[in-house]
Amino acid sequence: MRGYASILLLILVAVALPIIILNLSRLLRPSWPSAAKYATYECGIVTTNEAREKFSVRYYLVAVMFLVFDVETVFLMPWAIQMKELAVFGFIELGLFLFLLLFGYGYIWSKGALTWE
Amino acid sequence: MPTPTLTQSIVITLIQCLLVVIFVFVVVPLTVFAERKVLGHLQQRLGSTRVASGHVGFSGWMNRTMWKMGRVPVLSYWRGIPGLVGDVLKLILKEDIMPAKADKFVFFLAPSISMVAAIVVFAAISFVPGTFFTFPAWFPYLGGLPVSGGIADINVGLLWILGVATVGVYGIVLAGWSSNSKYPLLGGLRSAAQMVSYEVPLTLSLLAPVVLAASLNFSEMSSRMATGMPAWALVPQVIGFLLYLTCGFAETNRLPFDMPEAENELVAGFHTEYSGMKFGLFYLAEYINMTVVSALASAFFLGGPWLLPFGLQGLLNPYLPGFLSWFGQPHAIFFVAKIVFLLFTYIWVRGTIPRYRYDQIMAVGWKYLIPLALVNLLLAAVIRCFAV
Repeated sequence: MRGYASILLLILVAVALPIIILNLSRLLRPSWPSAAKYATYECGIVTTNEAREKFSVRYYLVAVMFLVFDVETVFLMPWAIQMKELAVFGFIELGLFLFLLLFGYGYIWSKGALTWE
Repeated sequence: MPTPTLTQSIVITLIQCLLVVIFVFVVVPLTVFAERKVLGHLQQRLGSTRVASGHVGFSGWMNRTMWKMGRVPVLSYWRGIPGLVGDVLKLILKEDIMPAKADKFVFFLAPSISMVAAIVVFAAISFVPGTFFTFPAWFPYLGGLPVSGGIADINVGLLWILGVATVGVYGIVLAGWSSNSKYPLLGGLRSAAQMVSYEVPLTLSLLAPVVLAASLNFSEMSSRMATGMPAWALVPQVIGFLLYLTCGFAETNRLPFDMPEAENELVAGFHTEYSGMKFGLFYLAEYINMTVVSALASAFFLGGPWLLPFGLQGLLNPYLPGFLSWFGQPHAIFFVAKIVFLLFTYIWVRGTIPRYRYDQIMAVGWKYLIPLALVNLLLAAVIRCFAV
């Protein structure tokens, strides 16, 4: 438990850091506000509309695929540590798991989800 | 050895946290400085290797005197320092501009998340197994107490590192979204997609050392990888190392996977609207992440705090004079030296390889690196079954 308590301390120090840094630089930096400075940047022309619009669905696809594969790696972790103890049983279990996953991998590849146009 | 009381161990942990912060704030500026100089030499950029204050004042006098004596002045190795000083001063003194349309709180939160995530990772990194140093007996309050080489030697160290390092993606996405501007939004989405894509092969390539060492604990893994393996067991790890380094480059958004700063497409990516110290925090976080990636590579693939692999370092012991006896033991200096070498590799690659196209990056990550990482993992599993 003591290990996690010291992690908590480091988190506190780390959270304090950006607050300290930003406030210190606030004391030093100038502030000359003007409307043009606070306008949204768009290559020098007047901003036309909001930025929060529709964007490519591919980003969602990547996110979904990432979820599946990252959960896979998390499931691999306990097997990786206990590999020798689990022996043949572990290998077969893992083989089944990976087979299902690689089946899906082949499917998304054939559907073209991995190709970015 | 005396056991510390609760307050004493809290103070010791605070000292360790302070050491980590100092380490970070020493390594990052030096890396920025080295980057200017190395790139200057690699790409014949004149300014960054020559700018110096070596003409005026005391340093100028010393430079001229040493040239007259026929020696290359020491200060000329430090040419380019004014560039670094200028960088830092500009980051601190620059006016902080927040676009009127931005989401104020998230705009502030994003760089802070990046920074905090980058530093908290260090909790599980141990610079040397066991004791780092012991306070001398005369030291007030803490005399005779040991300071361990890492802040928290937890069982799930690697899991902690990977988990917290991924939180940095939130910083980038939130920065892109909160700016309410088109380039940052696109840049944020792009780099987030790139980072999560390379997260998978990165974790898979790190699983091979986990299999070989049968542990997730940072110091156990690094010591078993450095001393507990026959030489040929590490052969598949050459693939793993290159794989990990590639993914690490993509994960820290460095060239040749430098999507956020694809200047000619996206101005400056997710931090287009940021200025002053808020941008500085992103900058810091990027370099801290580089250091973390290098630290993991050095611990799991290059032998971490051991100078020589396979227990060969112990053979040095009888031949070392007293003041060099630490050469026979694992030492934080060797660990840091390997980190520095890998940071140099970062700069070297940046100076050598041009940027990929975005579709190429995504294709390489999903189509080649993931299968390769699985094959590497299988190789490691076979070796662990039959040999180690």
